Amino acid sequence: MTILRRDFLKGTAAAIALSVLAGPVRAAQSGGGEEKWIKGVCRYCGTGCGVLVGVKGGKAVSIKGDPRNHNQGLLCLKGAMLIPVIYSEDRILKPMIRKGGKNDQLTEVSWEEALDFAANPFKKALAEAGPASIAYYGSGQALTEESYVANKMWKAGFKSNNVDGNPRLCMASAVAGYITTFGKDEPMGTYNDIDAASCFFIIGSNTSEAHPVLFQRIAKRKETSPDVKIIVADPRRTNTSRIADVHVSFKPGTDLALMNGMAHVIIREELDDARFHGKYCNFVKGNDPVNFEEYKKFLDDYTPEKVESITDVPAATIVKIARMFAESKGTVSLWCMGINQRVRGVWANNLIHNLHLLTGHICRPGATPLSLTGQPNACGGVRDVGALAHLLPNGRMVENEAHRKEMEALWNLPPGTIAPKMGRHTIALFEGMTAGDVKAVFIHCTNPAHTLPNLNKLTKGLQTAFVVQTECFKTAETLKYADVVLPAAFWCETDGVYGCTERRYSLTEQAIKPLGESRPALEILMDFGKRVGVDPKLIPYQNASDVWEEWRLLSAKSVYNFAGITRARLKKESGVKWPCPTENHPGTYLRYVRDDDPMVPKDHPNKVFFYGKPDGKAVIFLRPYDPPFEPADAEYPFVLTTGRVIDHWHTATMTGTVPELRKAYPGAYVEINPEDAKKLSIVNGDPVVLETRRDKLTFPARITDTCMPGLVFTPFFDPKLMVNKLFHDAADPISKEPEYKICATKVYKVS
Amino acid sequence: MASVKKTLLIGLFFAAVCVGGFFVYINAAFPTVRCEAAKVTHLNAPEDLSDCASCHAKTTPRDAQDWKESKHGVLLVKCFVCHGQPDGKGAIPFNAKPEYKTVCGACHEPAMNRMAAKYGEVGDCHTCHPRHQNPIHRNAFEAKTVTDKTSF
Ligand code: SF4
Repeated sequence: MTILRRDFLKGTAAAIALSVLAGPVRAAQSGGGEEKWIKGVCRYCGTGCGVLVGVKGGKAVSIKGDPRNHNQGLLCLKGAMLIPVIYSEDRILKPMIRKGGKNDQLTEVSWEEALDFAANPFKKALAEAGPASIAYYGSGQALTEESYVANKMWKAGFKSNNVDGNPRLCMASAVAGYITTFGKDEPMGTYNDIDAASCFFIIGSNTSEAHPVLFQRIAKRKETSPDVKIIVADPRRTNTSRIADVHVSFKPGTDLALMNGMAHVIIREELDDARFHGKYCNFVKGNDPVNFEEYKKFLDDYTPEKVESITDVPAATIVKIARMFAESKGTVSLWCMGINQRVRGVWANNLIHNLHLLTGHICRPGATPLSLTGQPNACGGVRDVGALAHLLPNGRMVENEAHRKEMEALWNLPPGTIAPKMGRHTIALFEGMTAGDVKAVFIHCTNPAHTLPNLNKLTKGLQTAFVVQTECFKTAETLKYADVVLPAAFWCETDGVYGCTERRYSLTEQAIKPLGESRPALEILMDFGKRVGVDPKLIPYQNASDVWEEWRLLSAKSVYNFAGITRARLKKESGVKWPCPTENHPGTYLRYVRDDDPMVPKDHPNKVFFYGKPDGKAVIFLRPYDPPFEPADAEYPFVLTTGRVIDHWHTATMTGTVPELRKAYPGAYVEINPEDAKKLSIVNGDPVVLETRRDKLTFPARITDTCMPGLVFTPFFDPKLMVNKLFHDAADPISKEPEYKICATKVYKVS
Repeated sequence: MASVKKTLLIGLFFAAVCVGGFFVYINAAFPTVRCEAAKVTHLNAPEDLSDCASCHAKTTPRDAQDWKESKHGVLLVKCFVCHGQPDGKGAIPFNAKPEYKTVCGACHEPAMNRMAAKYGEVGDCHTCHPRHQNPIHRNAFEAKTVTDKTSF
């Protein structure tokens, strides 16, 4: 019943060529009578597609892909349907407060009243319990300017490092992976590498549904160069594997063993690039340097046969994909939440980097480890800005005294202003709220009551603390807990910068006026901050351009230098990739490469210089296989995993407003393998209970061989069936990112 | 003359058997897919109808299969992206034959511009590019012959 790759790739033998004389067509410039087209970035995923919004009579009427941005005019179905989201009936257009506490109704009030009502508990908490009692919980969807200002207000203004956000739940492991291996965050490659790769290693990513336009680019690479090999490693046989040469279905949570097994084969068969790793890499076990021989010995535990016994992947397949990876002219690895959302997410990231460093498939066109981000501005807006509890701007660390001093000098603060201890990461933050230690939280542009893990436990914090929330849509679950709701202007109703997966900053320009009484979130944040007591001199900005100007110039004091990306340039160009130190610099394709990356001195003796590390060498880590936190067992015999469907984005507060998208996937379901379904006498559509150690929920069954036997999957978008209630909140000890991808569950039919 | 008529009749009979058999097969081949086609019209499609493919695999199997095998199918550019929603209450106007300038142009404008520069303006996109048929590894302007493939 499945289409084999072979079937669809071979096409039909007797294709009839239609006459090209019939001729093509002329493009539509203004199909709907648009008066102007305003440039921007798609509101949804980390692919960061450029868009053009068609405006007529002050209203946004249409959208198309920006031909000058990396997506070359293409949009996926979500991006193509963004316009109705703006005018959805679910928009919140007036501030609301709960006067009588959590059990009261939200009532509409004036901005003045709402902001005072929001600020007072923060002032009180600061006065009575100190800076650690207030928090900001931000988002990889907030504009860069917003996250920058919030971070500065909290860390410099309130002296509180309690700044965290949903990127902790999505790419913290990727950040720690890049930092531990290369010394600096963010990828060295870009999307251009896709067009030059001869092999793709896609692991822990359903690119086709989560990053559709990038998937199109990979498919196009395969289409134009059929010799290109694609390896998709995923316990689910997702739509992404339709273009794969090999789909590797491993036992959930065993990918660390799989990648060590690949490294074993690469070295055993001498497919490694000894000149590259000899010159540019150190080998490290824990914190201790070791040598190549010790690494080889470490890999003795990962022979293909041993790895087969851990992963259920045939030894021959492990050998085959290791050869494909190493022997190609250039390999691009792509990964996402399947690798990041794990108790050993950082290690898994390190192991991907290992494969590239071992084989020298890095810092060349078409050869790079490229981590995909889920949100449109997690990279530029949060990672670079440093809007997490342990970070300061441009890769600086809170707990590093020299870094704090640098930031204090750059922000004109008296020495000692920035608190020396890192703030609370997400799980600790919500636990702190439950315990009463964190008394007031400002939630911006995210919906934690739906997206936190172990929801029944962690939402208790939202019931206890005073919650101020900026939100655009009435359907957000978190509104149920909010004491104050501040309507933020949506997407193209304001202007600001997004930074996507490939280090590219693109500007969304204001196309229309904010609807109703909604206001740009930057204004809201600054108004709120001043009321709580931030020194106005610290945030002297009139608009987002002023913030960008400060941020741009500040970056010049680091290797994240994008001082050359001025607002004027962003208006003119459809995105620029940093590092970009001067206004005439075209932006950087290959980072860490002499003559390409302006941060590498022109006279550096080596072609590649990993300047994030003191000795300029990247690290190949000896990271052993470590099982997931809660594997299946006799009592809870199935593995439950979660993910996306192409039609919905995150908690569906936006996509759920579009009739087509809502109808395509009106609700969550559970995918069950036909073998398992037969054993449990479940047929399609049957109500099926998933019961974990936390909670149980009933989903309609979808019988499909997408999931391997023993594995069940449900998407997480549905507010009526919030699968995160079923999950534990065990997190990676380094990145503090929770393991959303694996927990043990019972599966049974409702009797 | 009579024999020609007879041949035609036999031919028609066989064609009917083939088409009928095909639908019987399709229904048997998708026991788990609920087909509401008998009860549902496009205008009263219920909220929980799931996506178009479950019905169209049975009602218009060739189109559904062509789409599934095409680049749009592989890339999950689903029916409603171009055709809108059958009940007409969607964000995109429902149209069996979408207006190419705005619908195709939303994504393919750069390619459309290239084509126009190369060949001039002739008809709409489908004058050259057969509907629903554009698998990876074949030229976009080649039409496919009828397939007997039924996997979906
Ligand atoms: S791929 Fe992502 S960024 Fe591009 S249009 Fe789709 S949702 Fe938007």
